[in-house]
This record gives sequence, structure tokens and C-alpha cells, in this order.
Amino acid sequence: MTSWKKAQSRAAPWFLLPALALLAMFVVWPMLRAFGWSFTNADLLAPEQARWSGLDNYSDLLADPRFRRAFGNTALFALLVVPIQTVLAFLLALWVNRPEPAWRWLRAAFFLPVIVSMPVLAVLWTILYQPAHGGETGLVNAALSLVGLPAQAWLRDPHLALPAIAAMSIWQGVGLQMMVFLAGLQGVSRELLDAARIDGATAGQRVRHIVVPALRNTIVFVITVTTILAFRIFVQPYLMTRGGPGNSTLTVVQSIYEITFLSQNLGRACAATLLFLLLVGGLTLLQRRFTREERT
Amino acid sequence: MRSVRPAPISAFLFLFLALVGTAGCRRDDPAAARVPLVRVWCHQGQEAENQAMRAIAAAFNAAHAGRARVELTFFPDFQYNEKIAIAAAARDLPDALDLDGPLVARYVDAGLLAPLDAWFTPAELADFLPTIRTQGTIDGRLYALGAFDSAVVLYYDRELLAAAGVEPPPAGRGWTWNEFLAACEKLHASGVEPVAFHMNESADEWFTYAFSPVIWSNGGQLISSDGTSVRGVLASVENIAALQAWQAVFKNNYAATDPVDPDPFGSGRTAMDWSGHWMAPSHVRTKGAALGAMPLPRVGARSVAPCGSWCWGVSAQARHPELAALWLKWVTDPQHGIAPIVRANGAVPARRSALALFPEYQNLPYRLFREQLETSAQPRPRTPFYATLTQRFAGALRDIARGDEVAGRLQAAEREVQAVIDRRRPAAAPAAVSSSP
Amino acid sequence: MKARLSNSSPALAWLVSVVVAVAFLAPLLWMVLASFREEGRIFHFTSENWFTTDGWTFANYADAWRRAALGGGLLVSLLQVALVAGIGLVVNAAAAYAFARLEFRGRDLLFAGVVILIILPVEVLAVPMFFTARDLGLTGGFGAALAGLTVPFLAKAFNIYFLRQHFLSLPQELEESAALEGAGAWRQFWSLALPAVRPALATVVLLDLLAHWGDFLWPLMISTREETRTVQLSLANLFTAPPIQWGDILACAVLATLPVIALFRFFQRHIVPSEARAGIK
Repeated sequence: MTSWKKAQSRAAPWFLLPALALLAMFVVWPMLRAFGWSFTNADLLAPEQARWSGLDNYSDLLADPRFRRAFGNTALFALLVVPIQTVLAFLLALWVNRPEPAWRWLRAAFFLPVIVSMPVLAVLWTILYQPAHGGETGLVNAALSLVGLPAQAWLRDPHLALPAIAAMSIWQGVGLQMMVFLAGLQGVSRELLDAARIDGATAGQRVRHIVVPALRNTIVFVITVTTILAFRIFVQPYLMTRGGPGNSTLTVVQSIYEITFLSQNLGRACAATLLFLLLVGGLTLLQRRFTREERT
Repeated sequence: MRSVRPAPISAFLFLFLALVGTAGCRRDDPAAARVPLVRVWCHQGQEAENQAMRAIAAAFNAAHAGRARVELTFFPDFQYNEKIAIAAAARDLPDALDLDGPLVARYVDAGLLAPLDAWFTPAELADFLPTIRTQGTIDGRLYALGAFDSAVVLYYDRELLAAAGVEPPPAGRGWTWNEFLAACEKLHASGVEPVAFHMNESADEWFTYAFSPVIWSNGGQLISSDGTSVRGVLASVENIAALQAWQAVFKNNYAATDPVDPDPFGSGRTAMDWSGHWMAPSHVRTKGAALGAMPLPRVGARSVAPCGSWCWGVSAQARHPELAALWLKWVTDPQHGIAPIVRANGAVPARRSALALFPEYQNLPYRLFREQLETSAQPRPRTPFYATLTQRFAGALRDIARGDEVAGRLQAAEREVQAVIDRRRPAAAPAAVSSSP
Repeated sequence: MKARLSNSSPALAWLVSVVVAVAFLAPLLWMVLASFREEGRIFHFTSENWFTTDGWTFANYADAWRRAALGGGLLVSLLQVALVAGIGLVVNAAAAYAFARLEFRGRDLLFAGVVILIILPVEVLAVPMFFTARDLGLTGGFGAALAGLTVPFLAKAFNIYFLRQHFLSLPQELEESAALEGAGAWRQFWSLALPAVRPALATVVLLDLLAHWGDFLWPLMISTREETRTVQLSLANLFTAPPIQWGDILACAVLATLPVIALFRFFQRHIVPSEARAGIK
């Protein structure tokens, strides 16, 4: 029996070579280069002339008000999106978790924005958020006026722009989280739920004491992934507001992009990238810490 | 044994691809494919400008059939500078491209542009406005030429001024800053918003472009004349004083810090408009005989006007630089290049011989544009660090308009810019560029 | 009986949910409707404007197709997605199979190294990867740029991890009979293991489809020429290029969405719902 296994093992390098070579070339090597460049004053247009500059890029970034603003905005965005989207998705999952076949369409409906690509949605919502001008207005303001609320300038208002983008992101992503929660809900013990109902527990109590603990790992996973995705945001602010008005929607990724191609400071861009990576890695580690009993 | 990808999927995809492909692939005329291609990039302006550019390119292709073919690509303005940087980094620059004037120094410094001296005779060059030549000249060599130049003036509504008892200055002369503030006060008292400064512009460049004359008129500079140091220059005593005078406009509510209307002067909200040549056609149309234009008010003794605009350069990596130069000559030719584009965008023709094609230049406000460019215009500093300089200076202006303390804010900007310069200076060779007129 | 919020009558719950779902999808519904409206009649929200038979037109679609060069954009996007999903599938599945079913020295250490790479998002890699792509000649004209859009993403650490999970769950005896009949490792992989994890393969294809159809940052950097633009870049270009015609932009948005929805529905049929759960752990 082991002879054919040995034959198999000999074939292993062929199975691995394409993937590993590609990963090495396009993931590992670029990361190493970025790491190296981050300690130099590399210029975008002439990186080979880079000179060692130690931790200058890092200290400059941490002191740069624009970068800090970008970080603050992105953190605020995550703070808005993650709790609201997670709670909404959880409630939605509970609500649509019915076996009747017709409910499949409902689940698909909530999932639809996930499939529509983000640039399309960014363009669409910019149009929806159009402020009132003359007799014309965007759909959001029109809907508000239906219930008697005043029209807003949304994306032109420095205080409303980031929440507006957050709302749109929540709308887009809630379906995906809902699906993940739905999958998790299938694993909740039915006997436990039935026993609780027989004992007179209300729906709210059943959710709080049975469902939530059972879904603990899923919840942690969803929160972590959503947080990381929130920090990686780029295309919505880039297309909808270009980081404005007044830098209120400037994000970390756009900041890195601008440092690279507008300031053309490759060294500093790499430093920003690595700081960003530290953040993402840190969040992932936190998730592992909070996830108990990993089931393979 | 089922294969991973069932036949129907492949068939569907293939069919879709085929349909899309036949629709999308360009059918190039085989004969045309043999003619050398000149790839040209242009920033995307208003539709009228784009149509004019397309017509200019088509005329070029017709006139040079068999010799060269231009392929014109547009990029949205806000993406354009990034695109050039990306293409430069990817070593995939087009053969010819247009650049915003102040950025020429950076690309020359990086070795991306080819000198143009060889392609133009001295007589041809003398025909260009002095500001155009200065804008494209780095280290004594010519790298870029524009087809048009720009101007910023203080438009005013004669009727609104008369109603408030404000006397405009004699033709061709501007106010001192105190006169300007006094006029604003009278207008404010008469109930009309005195002036529009367009503080809601998203591009940083507007601020540096439109308001540098304020500090220049007081004898200050943005950066040292060799373009390598702002220490003691950006936050100089003169500049602080000039910007304090500028800040007074906002402190007294003469101009909105967060306007929503893109054209408050045209819609009658403000009495004056600190704006550029691009608003001239629309203002002439809406105000008619009531439209007046004066040079920008000066803080110090000098009357200074801004200038500078998009200009054309040839890539140092161009495969056929002589053909790219042909394009440059065509697009700056008074009849084939300048006239169509200026008719579309209302800018100031870059060549004196072209001005003869535009009768409106006998009158205001166009006459003022030309006078300024010939006598009092100052180009923005030509330095490889312009991008950083403008970003920080514009940021400082925005904050000062909102009430930040001028000296502190300006000194912070100076420190930031100097820090960037110091980081990069060891690698970049100092470019001896001049920012004086 | 599943975990339920309440015992309310199913019919009422259904009705309320439909209303909520329609409200939820209103932006997308409006997008489609408005794309057929004439330019001046998109932003007036009165019943006279919308409940009428005039003002509807197909012209926006024709204009969008022409102005945004959608034929080329769709071609680039479709090719990119097809190549990444198709070739990537084989590349990643092969590696996953090796990590799961083949035994060789250093396997677990190597796999741990691959897993670490999962945390690297594309935004972190984009800038340095750009230089690698440039040095390998993956920028410039149509062929080069298409390669630049696809090759860096053929191997994905997460896909390898995900597929390995599924290969691990296959019975040990799967390959045994085939091996005893003389089938080599590749044959066992291709004809036995791959078909057995078809739902996982479809999931991976779907994830790649969603990720790359909507990708923006990387094409923004790689597509330096007009003919190499993806459909998202074409849309962004139309969105910012004067004259701003909202009808055209909406039509372009709809056209940019249809293919991915069609493809998604197509592949979704291969996924069994419970498989989504296995993917989380």
C-alpha cells in the first residue's frame, strides 16, 4: 500500500510548483521589497537610487496629520459599519431562517447587492445621494421628503459624507454576513431550542442564551472579517467623494495610493503599507485569540 | 468521470466572449497599421475641448497620412496626474502628452521628457508668449510648450458696485488690498455678498494658483529661487502679512468659506468673482455690458497675475520622437492647433500670431488677460517638489480661510514641505530652477 | 424547526418581508428603471414624471456602449475573470490536493507558510506587486496588460487553504482503488478528487468572480491604455467625463452588472447550501 503512496509523493512537487512559484513571485517577493523600501527614501520614478533612511518614513507617517486623518476616518468608518452591519445581518438571518421554499427568494434579494460590484454601487449611490438642486433631487432625498424630513447635501457635507458612505457599505454587505450567519444557524441544536420553548423561554431569551453562544465562533469570525474589510475600503470614497469634502472621507488605502502616485514617495508608501499590514495582522491575531475550540 | 467544467458553461462563456469580442475589438485598417503610431495622452476637459482635440487629431492624421498616425487617449482630470505617474513608473508613457505646467520640472528632473529646442526655430519660439516659454524651460532647455495660457482676474458687476457706491479702478489698474477691503465693506453693507473665492474647489491646485499672487504682490516667494528650500521663504514675514490681509476677507464674511454654488457671480449672488478665463464666456453672456474685469488686488506694491496651464511635451522614451514633435508643432500651430482649442475652452492663445484670429481680444475681459500675460504674470515655481509644495500650501490656505492663526499655520506648512525636500534631496540632483519672473 | 425570532403567522411574516425586501432593493430597481429614462427626467420624483408612457428610451444604452467603449471593457473583464478563475482553479486545487492528500517532507511547515500569506490583502501588495509586474513585462498593450491583470492572482493562499479543507474530508480509500489499477497521482487528482469537491470548486470560482469583476485598485494601476480598461474603469471614466449624462452612466452601470449576475447564478447551482458552513472553519 505504501508503494503507491510513495509514487504519489514523488509527484508532489509538480502539484505545488505553479502555485508556490506564483505566490513567491507575486506575494512573498513584493512584500520583501516593500519591507526593504520602507527604510529608504525610494522615489517612485527612480527606486534604484534609494538611500537608507532608517525609521524616518515611519516616524514621518505617524506624525503626518493627513495620514492620521486617513487612519481616523477609516477607524470611524469601521466603527460605524461593523456593529450596525453585524447586528442587522444577525437579525436578518434569524428572520429569514425558514424552511419554506419561497423564502429562498427573500434571502437572494438581500444577497443581491453583494453580487453587484462595488464600483457600480459607488456610482449608483453617488447618484442616489444627489442633493436637491432646483426641482431635481436624488432618490434618497426624495424618499426623505416623503416622510417629511429635510433634504441633505450628503456627500458634499463634511459631517454627513462618511456616514453616508458607511450606510451604503452596510447596505451592500449585510447580505453576505446574513448568509454566513444563516449557515451557522443550521448548526444550532434543535433539541435545545425546543426544550427551551417548552420551558416557556421567549424568543429573545432563546436567542440570547442559546443561539448567540452557539454561534460564538461565527460571530467572532464575521466581526473580524468585516473589520478587516472595512479597513481595506478604497473604491467607495475614491469614486464618491475623492477623500473629500475637506478630507473627511480620506482612507488609509487612498492615502497609500496618493503617497505612491501623487507624492511619488515609494519609500514612505511602503512604510504606510507595512503599518497597515500590522493593523490587519493584529486584527487577525485577535480573532484567533477570541475563537475557542477550532473545529476543522 | 465528469470533468470539472461542464460543456454548457464553456459554450456559454465562449459564445458571450465571441459576441463581445467582435463588438469590442477594433478593426484596424491593415494599411494604416503600418504607419508609425504616435500615442498621445490628453487630460479630459469639457466636452467641447475634447471634441476640439479629437478634431485636431483627425486633421493631423489627414494631413500626415502615410507618415504618422496619432492615437489620442483621454483621462479624467482628477486621475490624470496619477496616470502619468503610474505610466512613468511602469515605463509605459505615451509618445506625447500634455502636462500641467508646474509639474514639468518634476518630470524633467526624473528624465522623462525630451528637449524640444531642436524642433522649433528661434522665430517660432519668439512668437510664443513669454510666460509659455518660461513655463516649459527648465535649466535653460525647453521641454514643454502650451497651446494656451490662463488668466485670473477680479470680475465685477458694474451695476451692483454702482448701487453700493463703489468706484471701480481705472481701466487696466487694480486695487490695493485696502481699497479692495473697503469696497467689500460697502458691498456688504448694501446687502450683497461681496466676492466669490471658490473655496469649495476640490483640487488643491486652485488655491495655489489663484492666491499665490497675493503673496507675490507683497514681495514674497513660495520657494527659494533654486527650488530646493522653503526654510524662511514660505513662512516669511512678507507672506504672513500678505495672508493675514487675505484672511481678513473671510473674517469679515466678505467671501464664503464653504460655498455650494459653483457660479455665485453668474447667478447674481456675489458682486465680484475672483476667477479665471474659463468663466469669461459665461459671464459675458449673463452680465453683458454690466461685466467689468480688473487685475487682482495687490497687497504690496506689485500687481501680479497668475498664469500657466496645460502644455505639451514629448516622452524621452518615445520610439519616434521626430513624429511626436510633429504632433507638438501641429497642436501649437496657430491655425490648426491653437484656434480650435481656444475656441472651445476660451483660454488665452499662446502665440501672438494666433491672437489675431480672435477679435474678442480687443475688448474686456479678454484684453486684460493678454495684457497681464505680457506684463505682470508670474509662473508658479518650477521645482521638482511642486506637487508637495502645492498640496501643503493649499492645505494651509484652506485652514487659514477657516480662521487658523496665519503665522503658525504657515510655519507648519513650511516645516512639512522642508521635511519632504530634505528626505529626497540626497538622491535628486539639485535642479537650478528659477521662480522669479 | 429552526431558530426563529417569533411564531408569527408565516403569511404575515412573508408579506412584511416582501415589503422590506422591495424597499431594500429599491436602489437597484431604480437604477434599472432610470437607465431607460431620458436625461432630463431622471431626478424629478413626481408621479407625473414616472407613471407615464413617454420619456422612456433605449438611447442611453447605445450611448453608454459607444462612449465608454463597453465592448472592449466587457471583453477585458470577462477574459480576466475567466482566466483567473479557470487557470487559478487548477493551480490552487493542485497545491491544495498536494497539501491534503500527498505526503512529503516539510509539508506542514510549507503549508503553515502559505496560511500566513492569507492575511495579506491586495491593497497591501498592490504597490510593490506593481513593480514586479512591470519588471516581468506585464504592463503596456492588450496582451501584456491582460497578463498583468490575471497572472498575479492565479495563486491564492486562501483558495489553497479552503480547498485543502475539502480535500481532507474525502475518504482515505478514494484513490486507493484507482492507484491499484495503475492510475498516477495526476489522474487520481483530476478524475477522482476534483469531481468529488465540485461544490467547493464552484464556491472558489464564485469568490474569484466576485473579487475580480469588482476589482478597482489593481486595474487602476495596470490599465494604462484605453484598450486595456476593465468594465469598472470604463464606468468610472464615463462617470467623470463631461458631458455628465446620468442616463448613460446608469445604463453603463446596468451593463457592467448583468454579466456577473448571470455568471453568479450559473455557478451557484453547483453549490449545496450546507457547504457554505464548512468553509468558515
